[in-house]
Amino acid sequence: MSQTLEYSLFQRKQIAFLLSPDKAFAEMLQKLWSPDVIEFKVFEHGGGAIEHLFNEPPDLLVVDNRLSDISGKEIANLVKSENVYRQLPVVMCVDPVDVEEPWNWNKIEVDDFLVRPFNPSEVRDRINLTLCRAMRALDANPLSKLPGNTSIIQRIQQLIDGKEDFALAYCDLDYFKSYNDKYGFSRGDEILMMSARLIVNTIRSYQGVMSFVGHVGGDDFVFILPPDKVEDACQRIITAFDDIVPHFYDPDDRARGNITSVDREGNTKVFPLMAISIAVVVNTEARIEHYGEVSSIAMGLKKKAKEDPESCYVIDRRKA
Amino acid sequence: MEEDLKTSVRGEILSVKDLPTLPHVLDEVTKLVEDPDASSEAIAKVISTDQVLSAKVLKMVNSPIYGFPGRISSIQHALVLLGFNVIRGIIISTSVFDMMEQAMKGLWEHSLGCATACNIIARRAGFEDPEEYAVAGLLHDLGKVVTAVQLPDLHKTITDTVKAKELTYFQAEKDVMGFGHDRINAWLARHWGLPPNIREAMSRHHAPQLAEFYKPMSCVVHIGDFLVRLFEFGNSGDDQTAYLRPEALIELKFKMSDLDKVMDEMADQFLEVSDLTF
Repeated sequence: MSQTLEYSLFQRKQIAFLLSPDKAFAEMLQKLWSPDVIEFKVFEHGGGAIEHLFNEPPDLLVVDNRLSDISGKEIANLVKSENVYRQLPVVMCVDPVDVEEPWNWNKIEVDDFLVRPFNPSEVRDRINLTLCRAMRALDANPLSKLPGNTSIIQRIQQLIDGKEDFALAYCDLDYFKSYNDKYGFSRGDEILMMSARLIVNTIRSYQGVMSFVGHVGGDDFVFILPPDKVEDACQRIITAFDDIVPHFYDPDDRARGNITSVDREGNTKVFPLMAISIAVVVNTEARIEHYGEVSSIAMGLKKKAKEDPESCYVIDRRKA
Repeated sequence: MEEDLKTSVRGEILSVKDLPTLPHVLDEVTKLVEDPDASSEAIAKVISTDQVLSAKVLKMVNSPIYGFPGRISSIQHALVLLGFNVIRGIIISTSVFDMMEQAMKGLWEHSLGCATACNIIARRAGFEDPEEYAVAGLLHDLGKVVTAVQLPDLHKTITDTVKAKELTYFQAEKDVMGFGHDRINAWLARHWGLPPNIREAMSRHHAPQLAEFYKPMSCVVHIGDFLVRLFEFGNSGDDQTAYLRPEALIELKFKMSDLDKVMDEMADQFLEVSDLTF
């Protein structure tokens, strides 16, 4: 029951607020996890908790519908109606009589609910699941649904800490902005979805090895593979991308091999078809100690890769 | 009355769920997807010989779920973008004809022959991406397959009419239903979100002069269909001679000598293709 953080489902200690006058319930929750894994801060009244909630938003909010001063629904809506707090997962606790009539879950945007009498193991796993789901949803790129920055940084740091050999590749698209300007953002999104799919499938085809694909945002993607696979992957991604991307242009632009669009300074300019640039940082013998080093090396390489208007990759194999 | 028939046929056609294929290709592609060393090129090559599997793959990759609807008309690209798991899923969920296998073999051969012919014609005409023309050729009679699966009684009436009145399958369709598989193709292609070039070629291969946006592709499929019938490779549902529209040749700037060259190459390739005994 009292697990350590290392063996828990979470990367760091979770702070939870419980808003409930039910002392037995508070005691139960506090016993279900070691305070190093989930620490519950208990508030018997809703009113006093709100300011804390807004100043230091926790990782989880458990609201009891038995609150006397303010209804659980109202608290939940207060949190969910503010875009900066929306991602905070909320679990509603109710009595059987509360749910005799169906609730409008579109109006009460909680993430889960628990009905009395509480079964401790169910409560434990429902809350664990809610937290895990919220983490996945929070970090996923809204367009491609690939893991985003938090997961990317976490994964790289894990590999560094584990002193594992790995190759980290940063991909970005050349002339994506001019495509977007000419054809509009919804066709730009098509390009991003196509690129995401292409990278994911290429990386996934290396079976039985450590791998990862993330979407930093916009036209920036990241993938991780063992160092001996990365060059082959770069070549395959470039071949597939160069093969497929012309089909996303209108026939006349495609035949001409370029598009006419307006650049950042407002001048009309001719841009080549999109290409993909890949910058790869190889970490062997644990020469890199921190995530920051990886990204700064990669940014330098990226500049080099970008000098070539055609698709290309640059691999950094410097030794420690 | 005729409108009622059209509406009900359309409803039946578009409600098609499990389109079966022939066992030969399905067995071969099943082996490939179970082989961890099989390349996507090898899998694409086999799928490109089967109109039902090709249609399913293109329908999937062009669905809005993937985020680039109607953009992909190449099987190889579709495989790269769908990935191994999805392809495997499509293969696993495809069944085989249990009743009509014999009757369907001729149509499969005809479709593969037409795909081969379209590839040759497109290259001869100097078009880019000849494999996309091959896809259009492969799918040009898909409406006949779906009719046979979804409306077996109607299909039987059509084939009976072909024999009784000595008509082409296309004429018999018009005789029985008032419209042909070109119309059915148009419904299917739109419903499945296939790319506009493939869609137009599928629905205009009997009247390429009416094609609006992708006339060259419609003309290539028209000529391919004609030539493969001339070769009597496979069977598209009748033994009548087909009609070749001169506009199609003009569109591609083809002379009779070009057709001769195309037919020489077709003869060579059909020798290879006929190893694929359906």
